[in-house]
Amino acid sequence: MDFGFTKEEALLQKMAREFAEKHIEPLAEKIDQENEVPKEILEGLAELELFGVPFPEKYGGADGGYAGYVLAVEQIARCSSGVGMIMSAHTLSVGAIGVFGTEDQKKKYMPPCCQGKQIASFAFTEPGTGSDPKQITSTAVKDGDSYILNGTKRFISNANFPGPIVIFARESESNEITAFIVDKFCEGYSISEPWKKMGMHGGPLLDVYLKDVRVPAENVLGQIGQGYPILQMGISFGKVGVSSCALGGMLAAYEEALKYAKEKTHRGAPIAKFQAIQLRIADLAMKYEASRWLTYRLGYLADNVKNPAVFAKEAALTKTVVCENSADVARISLDVHGSYGAMEDYKISRLYRDAIMGPQIEGVTDMQKMIISGVILKG
Amino acid sequence: MNIVVAMKQIPDLQQVRIRNRQPVFEDVPYTLGNIDKNALEAGVALKEALDAKLIVVSAGNEELEDTIKEALAAGADEAYLVIDDSLDNIASDTSATLIAAAIKKIDDVGIILFGEGSGDNYSGQVASRVAEILELPEVGYAKEIELNGQSLRVTRSLEESEELVEVELPTVITVVSEINEARIPAVTQILKAGKKPKEVVSPHELEIAIGSVQVTTLSNLAPETDRKQIVVKSVDELVKALTTEGLIGR
Repeated sequence: MDFGFTKEEALLQKMAREFAEKHIEPLAEKIDQENEVPKEILEGLAELELFGVPFPEKYGGADGGYAGYVLAVEQIARCSSGVGMIMSAHTLSVGAIGVFGTEDQKKKYMPPCCQGKQIASFAFTEPGTGSDPKQITSTAVKDGDSYILNGTKRFISNANFPGPIVIFARESESNEITAFIVDKFCEGYSISEPWKKMGMHGGPLLDVYLKDVRVPAENVLGQIGQGYPILQMGISFGKVGVSSCALGGMLAAYEEALKYAKEKTHRGAPIAKFQAIQLRIADLAMKYEASRWLTYRLGYLADNVKNPAVFAKEAALTKTVVCENSADVARISLDVHGSYGAMEDYKISRLYRDAIMGPQIEGVTDMQKMIISGVILKG
Repeated sequence: MNIVVAMKQIPDLQQVRIRNRQPVFEDVPYTLGNIDKNALEAGVALKEALDAKLIVVSAGNEELEDTIKEALAAGADEAYLVIDDSLDNIASDTSATLIAAAIKKIDDVGIILFGEGSGDNYSGQVASRVAEILELPEVGYAKEIELNGQSLRVTRSLEESEELVEVELPTVITVVSEINEARIPAVTQILKAGKKPKEVVSPHELEIAIGSVQVTTLSNLAPETDRKQIVVKSVDELVKALTTEGLIGR
């Protein structure tokens, strides 16, 4: 068992860190305030091939595996959770096309996405359904060689960027949930204003409205009625990205606590000299280290999926531990900052708002626990 | 034409901790110096303009084969490495002898680039020593390099002025950090770096005996300066004190 990085992995991590520190960190406050990521940052990510890290070169990817992807997303999210979330939702969506798409679909949609010319989305949730596919009300009615899609999708990441969106709808002939690849901004596709989230600003969540959107039958992803397995696999891979984002935010909060504890003095001594702070620093280190290795392990597992149900359990377990730890770490770091932590002038207040989003997205913690216990009890 | 960039493997200074006023190098990974990366970036620009091949040359311990992937990811086409575990903490003259011997093994070298000083010791000697051994002209502290037919026009950044010189090839050039911003390599460049051609030789194969002469650092602390602790209560007193010290009004 070897827990070290290869030189290539270390360089990939260093590259993402350098880019993030140089180009994202100086704009992180602006991204938070304006809830928008400047296009220069997205272009920079594209230039470094960070939109296609885990995907095969054959389809325009960088062939760096999910093990490389988690290292990169952690470093990007360390400077901005919002930018990390754009990468995460995009990669989950491209990954679904990569796993379930036909050769033609992969050749058409993956290269522009991997090159960052397009940013992909994944649309499952609806106003009336959370994680239960049986409640989906969007419809796909067969009309000759096409399907006509109607419905509303809620909290859809990246829905405002041009590119493909994987949409789940009930297919009319089979009455089964089926996935379709739709080009965003085609006729009948429209979006809401971005939701005003409490954190992770810049990573846009919007509602998507489908009004008589005509999709060629060749754009069915996988088989008719295969929606649930695609959804299950997709959101499992999505948790790799969400865990990496939470880990990056956690690292930033941990670093802020360390910095503040060494700089802030009380009666002439840095507060790091006091036991109350020392105990908190130990808590931060323990939570970060445990989360880090779980996330890196999930990256490895994503590169070597043998049993989708077991992977779903591991992804749910990792996402839960890491996101909960990330929220805890932000809270502890806030405590280390004392009253100053509650001031928006201090970075920790933004990191705290970002971190407490983690357990609420990509399936809430209770839902993850149901997945974990469901797989364990099934045996 | 081949362009050579000489680079030094150094501990990653961002990860060096200080304990008892001494740097701790335990578990600190190796990297390449920042100014060396500027030299590499300058080499990449010249390579593209001249349609040349860019070869990175370095000497160091066994870790070097891994460390040099950073240079191969950032634009070098090949690496020529002198590797031996005795090459830790060698003196500048030994480094220069090894680097010069390695460069002699490469055909058709037109330009040899160095950073103005290494990222760790910053002695700034190796480039001049290499130029002397190879009997080549050297232009130091380049902040701009421009092709001019078969020669180069180099703007040198001196302390209070700039100097524009023209130099025939082959030549040795050292660069300052302002010359460019070193690129951040993309994912595939990193992943493919290890597959680029690499020649590894020992000092023995270059017929160079290293001997047992190594540099031992006795102290690397900044010199202590005693403050004079003079307290003044007015500008007049300050002027008087500075005049008495001979610092103004001479």
